[in-house]
Amino acid sequence: MSRRYDSRTTIFSPEGRLYQVEYALEAISHAGTALGILATDGIVLAAERKVTSKLLEQDTSAEKLYILNDNMICAVAGMTADANILINYARTQAQRYLLTYNNDIPCEQLVRRLCDLKQGYTQHGGLRPFGVSFIYAGFDNQRQFQLYQSNPSGNYGGWKATSVGANNASAQSLLKQDYNEECSLKEACELAVKVLSKTMDSTKLSSEKIEFATVGRTKSGTVYHHLWAAEEIDALLKEHGLAKKDSEGVEESWKPGESV
Amino acid sequence: MDALVAQYSQPSHSAQDTTLDDSLALSSKIAPPLSLNFELPPIDSHSAWLRAMTDDHSNPQCPIKIAHGTTTLAFRFKGGIIVATDSRATAGNWIASQTVKKVIEINSCLLGTMAGGAADCQYWLAYLGMMCRLHELRHKRRISVAAASKILANLVYSYKGMGLSMGTMCAGVTPTEGPALYYVDNDGTRLAGNMFCVGSGQTFAYGVLDAEYKYEMEEDEALELGKRSILAATHRDAFSGGFINLYHVKEEGWVKHGFMDTNPIFWKTKLEKGEFSNVTSKLE
Amino acid sequence: MRGATILKANEDKTRQLNKHTLMAYVGEAGDTIQFAEYIQANIQLYSMRNSTDLTPSETSSFVRTELARSLRSRSPYTVNLLLGGFDPRTSKPELYWIDYLASCAPVPYAAHGYAQYYCLSILDKHHHPDISLEQGMKILRMCTDELKRRLPIDFKGVVVKVVDGEGIREVEYEDGGQVLAP
Repeated sequence: MSRRYDSRTTIFSPEGRLYQVEYALEAISHAGTALGILATDGIVLAAERKVTSKLLEQDTSAEKLYILNDNMICAVAGMTADANILINYARTQAQRYLLTYNNDIPCEQLVRRLCDLKQGYTQHGGLRPFGVSFIYAGFDNQRQFQLYQSNPSGNYGGWKATSVGANNASAQSLLKQDYNEECSLKEACELAVKVLSKTMDSTKLSSEKIEFATVGRTKSGTVYHHLWAAEEIDALLKEHGLAKKDSEGVEESWKPGESV
Repeated sequence: MDALVAQYSQPSHSAQDTTLDDSLALSSKIAPPLSLNFELPPIDSHSAWLRAMTDDHSNPQCPIKIAHGTTTLAFRFKGGIIVATDSRATAGNWIASQTVKKVIEINSCLLGTMAGGAADCQYWLAYLGMMCRLHELRHKRRISVAAASKILANLVYSYKGMGLSMGTMCAGVTPTEGPALYYVDNDGTRLAGNMFCVGSGQTFAYGVLDAEYKYEMEEDEALELGKRSILAATHRDAFSGGFINLYHVKEEGWVKHGFMDTNPIFWKTKLEKGEFSNVTSKLE
Repeated sequence: MRGATILKANEDKTRQLNKHTLMAYVGEAGDTIQFAEYIQANIQLYSMRNSTDLTPSETSSFVRTELARSLRSRSPYTVNLLLGGFDPRTSKPELYWIDYLASCAPVPYAAHGYAQYYCLSILDKHHHPDISLEQGMKILRMCTDELKRRLPIDFKGVVVKVVDGEGIREVEYEDGGQVLAP
């Protein structure tokens, strides 16, 4: 029955569903987990990398975390190729706003512009929706630190802590359990690695398997974002006793075409 | 407003076409007895020719750039007359000099200021000095400011339309007149008044002067106001600058109060009094 | 003015853009109001869409961008602007001088047209960074008096508006008397 409705994105099924959107969501639920936690003095984004190979050049391929603007970064779950299109669009929009108003785009506006684009693909064109969910972390003067999440339907919302990708339900419940609104960025980082260590398939974490980024403010009040280097991630894992032992190898688990 | 300004900034005689014979006849009739017959170029219309050669506004490539652009001021107050000028001479966009003396000491009691063509002013004010001295010798008393300015006004009027460019003020104190101030320009205008500012920076000087001018000022206040008004003009008018030349004319004669570099005065005024707040003093 | 006749002497040449930003305009008849209202509408649209107001600095940037775009079009707007605003986030007043060639500069005081020649030297002398509203009004009086005194055209008076933390309000400004040159 669903055959008649699921090949077209723009048509509702009799039950009132958009199958293509749901399939996109399904694809994302197999992607590597990404999570974000809002702290009082910053935001942390952490993501699980699925593309791990000892042949991979680690430095040159951040695949889950991207800088959108001076005041904003995001984590991706889903198809990287689709994400690239959207990230490029977001960066362009942010620069265009900067050009017009000589000020960083407010976080929610950038999220909304991106989601308006995503929504378009669920309504017209006969094209496939973008198979990507994002977690955005940013700062603006109006609403300070903000964390948003969006999905292929074009829906978005603001969160205190959230996750997308594989095992996001369990990650979400762990976050709900352990999240404290008054936490500092340092505590948020600790929570992030702990949640990842429990939701990821591999038992021991390493800088090859996760990406990490923070948004915060310097003492002088300027906003910074920081994509962590491998050594910094390893140091954090070590501090919390989650680092893998040297003997363990890297498993090659990823096939081309799969979501990360 | 632009139309109005154009109307007033254009010489009122522009429609007139003085011929060589006419103007020679005119100058020999009204011009003074001493030989002042210039060799004139063999051209039909001097005024039109001169305008074609010198009018920078309608033709930026004009071959002769007359030195223009100035700020001069003079005002009467209870203690006499303050005369102040800048010292910049420009020819087109070129600063020809920063140390021009624009106050011309006609004699020990009379000052003239120069605005407009530098050569015209220097020549004719020197000539006026001569005429004043002759008056003294002939009549055994000093010439009145009214008479001196009238000599100049009649002189320039006799050359009207032939391209003289002068905006000058004659300031002096005489026993009969008290402090007297006259404005004379190349149109032949001659006005007595309390206060005049002449030159491209005049509006800026007027702004400062008008706001605080009182006839009952003390001498130091008056000197300061004259100095500050020229400073205002040198700050805003590109064709004014250099040094502030400051004079005080009293009944005993004029007193010079300095030829002062504007730059240190500007920074002193800004940093000590907090004026010129649109200029930042630190690099950001 | 239309030709040599004054059609209206007391027109308000300002537009309120949002709660705390006011734009004053001069220039080509027709262009001025069209441009001012176009800007006004867009600034209000932004407020509605984003449920927040643009700050004065953002607004000035937007206006400048629009003028720069217009300048390169077939028929550019010939409008000079002054933009006054109060930034509620920094609690500071701001003033921007914008001309039809799309120059934009934040300044402590400003004027357009011939008024610049008469008023800027007064402002250079009497304006100080931390003056009160009352002192500001005194300086304004010096400026309008000077315009009455020296401007060759008959000066028909001014509309005075104050922009501060409370918003924008028009204030009474008595300018009936004649001012003569000394």
